[in-house]
Amino acid sequence: MPARPPAIRTPGEEDALGRLLGAGVATNHFGEHLAIRNWFSTPEFAEPSFTTLELLSHTRNESVSRKARAALQDPGKWLFLDTETTGLAGGTGTYAFLIGLAWWDAGGLQVEQFFMRDFAEEHSLLQELSQRVAERPVLVTFNGKSFDWPLLENRFTMTRSIAVPKLAAHLDLLHPARALWKLRLGSVRLVELERHVLDAPRLGWHRENDVSSALIPQFYFDYLRGGPAEPLAAVVRHNQMDLRGLAALFGKINALLSEQAETAMEIESLDLFGLSRFLQRRGENDRAHSACAQALEIGLPAEFRPRACRELAQMAKWRGEHARAAEIWVEIVADGHNGIHACEQLAIYYERHCKDFYRATEFAQLALAKLRRQRGVSHDPHLTARCARLEQKFLHRLARLQHQMKTLGGLASPLALSRSGGES
Amino acid sequence: MQESLAVRRAETSTALTRVHEVLDAFAARDHNGETLTAIRHFPAREAQWADFPSWVNADLVSAYTAKGIRRLYTHQAEAAEAVHAGKNVVIVTPTASGKTLCYNLPVLNATLENSDSRALYLFPTKALAQDQLAELHNLNQRLENRFGVFTYDGDTPADARRSIREKGHIVLTNPDMLHTGILPHHTRWTRLFENLRYVVLDELHTYRGVFGSHLCNVLRRLRRIARFYGRDPQFICCSATIANPGELASRLLETEVEILNSNGAPAAEKTFVFYNPPVVNRALGIRRSYINESSRVAQEFLKHDLQTIVFSNSRLLTEILLTYLQQANPQLPGKQETIRGYRGGYLPNERREIERGLRDGQIRGVVSTSALELGIDVGSLDTVVMAGYPGTIAATWQRAGRAGRRSGSSCAVLVASSSPLDQFIVRHPDYFFGNTPEHAFIQPDNLEILINHLKCAAFELPISPSDKFGDVDLLDLCARLAEAGFLHLAGENYHWTQEAYPADTISLRSVSSDNFVIVDVTGVPTVIGEVDFPSALIFLHERAIYIHGGQQHHVEHLDFKERKAYVKRVDVDYYTDAVRYTQVRVLEIAATEQCSGKETPVHFHSHGDVLVRSQVVGFKKIKFFTHENIGDGKLELPENEMHTTAYWITLERPLLESLPFTVSERQSGMFGLLHALESVATLLLMCDRRDLGAAIGERPPAADSECASDVGAAQRTAPLQGTTENFDPSRLKDATSTTVREFFEPNLYLYDAYPGGIGFSEPLFRTHGLLVQRTRELIAACPCEQGCPSCVGPAGDLAPRAKEAALAILDRLCG
Repeated sequence: MPARPPAIRTPGEEDALGRLLGAGVATNHFGEHLAIRNWFSTPEFAEPSFTTLELLSHTRNESVSRKARAALQDPGKWLFLDTETTGLAGGTGTYAFLIGLAWWDAGGLQVEQFFMRDFAEEHSLLQELSQRVAERPVLVTFNGKSFDWPLLENRFTMTRSIAVPKLAAHLDLLHPARALWKLRLGSVRLVELERHVLDAPRLGWHRENDVSSALIPQFYFDYLRGGPAEPLAAVVRHNQMDLRGLAALFGKINALLSEQAETAMEIESLDLFGLSRFLQRRGENDRAHSACAQALEIGLPAEFRPRACRELAQMAKWRGEHARAAEIWVEIVADGHNGIHACEQLAIYYERHCKDFYRATEFAQLALAKLRRQRGVSHDPHLTARCARLEQKFLHRLARLQHQMKTLGGLASPLALSRSGGES
Repeated sequence: MQESLAVRRAETSTALTRVHEVLDAFAARDHNGETLTAIRHFPAREAQWADFPSWVNADLVSAYTAKGIRRLYTHQAEAAEAVHAGKNVVIVTPTASGKTLCYNLPVLNATLENSDSRALYLFPTKALAQDQLAELHNLNQRLENRFGVFTYDGDTPADARRSIREKGHIVLTNPDMLHTGILPHHTRWTRLFENLRYVVLDELHTYRGVFGSHLCNVLRRLRRIARFYGRDPQFICCSATIANPGELASRLLETEVEILNSNGAPAAEKTFVFYNPPVVNRALGIRRSYINESSRVAQEFLKHDLQTIVFSNSRLLTEILLTYLQQANPQLPGKQETIRGYRGGYLPNERREIERGLRDGQIRGVVSTSALELGIDVGSLDTVVMAGYPGTIAATWQRAGRAGRRSGSSCAVLVASSSPLDQFIVRHPDYFFGNTPEHAFIQPDNLEILINHLKCAAFELPISPSDKFGDVDLLDLCARLAEAGFLHLAGENYHWTQEAYPADTISLRSVSSDNFVIVDVTGVPTVIGEVDFPSALIFLHERAIYIHGGQQHHVEHLDFKERKAYVKRVDVDYYTDAVRYTQVRVLEIAATEQCSGKETPVHFHSHGDVLVRSQVVGFKKIKFFTHENIGDGKLELPENEMHTTAYWITLERPLLESLPFTVSERQSGMFGLLHALESVATLLLMCDRRDLGAAIGERPPAADSECASDVGAAQRTAPLQGTTENFDPSRLKDATSTTVREFFEPNLYLYDAYPGGIGFSEPLFRTHGLLVQRTRELIAACPCEQGCPSCVGPAGDLAPRAKEAALAILDRLCG
């Protein structure tokens, strides 16, 4: 078991900020900083399923070391992390003035936050972080792979004395969240997810008086220049909620990704479609296929249906179910966004699998007509150029079909097979 | 490159004859010897050789040997030794003398000896870095790719950047990328900084004025970051010939630098000709248009199948000359265009294609701005024609050096415009051939520049009490920045406390960093180029004729918000030229000096801070070939405002009243005087004439009194700042006609054309006496009767006795 965090001193009478934030003064050989510790009963501990871990971290990949795998499978090694920074610009001039950490403890969540009262306290803050990461080397973040962690890496490098801590693994929940819920929500900010995915009223915290993230850097700068400290208490609370939201989000993703979740849970059709897309990207084609089929069965909003059909057809094609795929394509031939794609696929299908060059020609001609119409109304030079390229492709296909019909009279032959072999 | 000269001469003896045929033809036409004012022959020079130093890695020697380099020129060996001895050096050599070897040899040697060693190469342009990359790749292949060499600039794909940061032994970049992309992210470049041994600065002479002042500060930041990682890199600089390479280098690097200026490279025979267009009206001092004459000279060379480069001093002239030469050399059916243009604003691919075409000889002629002045490899050209004096002696030699890289004989022709500077140069050839080239000045402690870089530095690393930027007291400035909310003092150090990323808003090359994209909407909308903000106001205002690649475009709409200009292809027989108004107001006088001779009335000259407002207010349509004004238009474009420094002469009332001239004659005299004064000032300062602006305004009753701002509004001044290089009389006429009132006590301003000033005003103030003296000589010695473009401006546009009036004022100033 990891060692318990070192004791912190309660703030003195004169330490108004410490009292305001409910913080104690932590000390190490680099100096002091404020530390805030709280235990919350919600969200409740969520045991990561084997499937979830596989899907989130590619554990099947050979390159993941045994040590990393062992750490991943031990929730005691997990560390949720979220920072509040002096800006979003990145580079060496952006500081993390509040580092929030959390880990599963006693069925709930232990939250620990480090706050630097001034830039001079940064070293002691980073030293503390380095120790926590050494104890719990599996990082769980929301957008931490491209923002929080690189920024902290910069900060460690700038100390020239504290090495960048080694991570066993880093799970960034932004990517799965985007795959799963972007379709339904449009935005996948953590607050949006709490409200629409995590059942906010039952979470155990309220965002009503939350500060806007955009104001946070200025609050800190104001405080540094002798301004009010009160807004910082709200920032600390904001960070706490983000950490709890992050842990809760993990629970939700875990539940969704676990095997058989689709059958056991009641899932919205759009989320099922999102799940299908996520699974497909991770190479779980069978599960992806069934989730997509299920989504269509339950019923998707009209604007998503053709897209789901298109993907389902694509997956059917990969599974070798060409006739089934063709049935689905026919359904979306009339769709504005996917019609041309469907026509192309049908043309391929009739040419290659049915050797029905006449029908293949029909679909190719239909696609061509659609393309020309599209190009006629478009003012976007890029789209126009793409249409022109596609047109060339179809013209080429038509010429070949014509040739095949002439020379082979529409009969299958080895030559026809090898000729069309170049495409898929 | 290093084969013997004798062989080369044999190969190209025909080029020699052809060059001389053309020169003889010019001489034959020059009946009274007024056109060819100088013909100087520079004999070929043999190479001086030295062996590779003994410490050079044997593999590196064989790699060079395999490339055909068996021995070094003496200056290359000397440079390598100095670098090897650990000195910061500046190598001064002319074009095409093998300078890249001077730095590649020691750097590669260090890399081969220690594979951790890293080097950073800085080139003023991306194109130059690309050029050097090719050379280094070639060497690397011969060395079994033992080192990593990459360019790192705005075009580098994001996915390649990580590997460049780790594996690049030599990283080729430009100051701008170092400023915005590398220094603020130094933690990602730890491999480079922890092992940084050499920094190479090529084309050092380009880092003068504003750009140089910025670069000096970027280098201060670079050295600070290197120190943070425990390194103190050694600097290797290369410069074209200027008067003060050592001074420039040590000001830029703020440390001792050894100057190496011997040259062991061979040189081909060269003829340098000064060509003054024939006078067509002696009384008015009007000569044939130098644009037409340049085109004629170039055409003569092209007809003799001599590959020719024509340099012009502005984008507009480049396009006009291109139009003329393409008309004279029409594209053959099925063949590539043989005459091409080359300038900033062309897209990179187009430029690469032109460079290739020049190297393989497909392109016979190219019309370029200064873009081709630097060391981009376009191979050998036979002749160079300069349409107008490039502005400095150094740049003139640089451009002339473009000819004769390989051929046995080459020719450079300078065609003078009617501007005073050009006329001075061609009429005093000894001044040019006998003088050292210009000094390069920088002013790194210009407050605006310094503060901007201090912000960037604080972003990169907190400012500690031991940090220094030259001799500047940083802590004082930091305290001011802290008050303004940019920094915060914690412990002893100042930290950055803004959300923004400061380097993004600071451009090293101009005032504003944003560009306008030019969209051709004749057919399918296509982007054909881009120009910077100030140029956009001048070239892309609505109804302007924008010429690109010889094709005219009519500007339909200039979208300020989106930074886009929409143009349509047209075919008209005119081009447009913007008219700009400039207005100057004195903010604070730094020093003022009163002069009064024995019999002369009082006058003052001063220098100090001023506010300059300028605005493009209209444009003129000018007919091709005849260059007559065929119409004009008004424009409403935003006003540009800048704080800068200026030097000015105040003409007191008694002085003016002592002049026996009418009011309009006096005014014309003042404008004429300012015209001449500006030319002489650029000559004395040896600066680029674009660095200096001129204007006339009335002196406020008291510069520091409260009514100063009211007076400012009344200072309707002459728009002396033209967009073309030569002085344009009709503008003056417009201005004088709208300004009927007499200036009460006018100020004649010469100001630094950069916010904050770049250090010209004070030297001008100090040399006031000489400046006035020389100006008087220029005007008095001019053979014209009543003023001409070469002294006070063309006679027809000034009051009849302007030249006399100008001289009379000067007489009183000289005392």
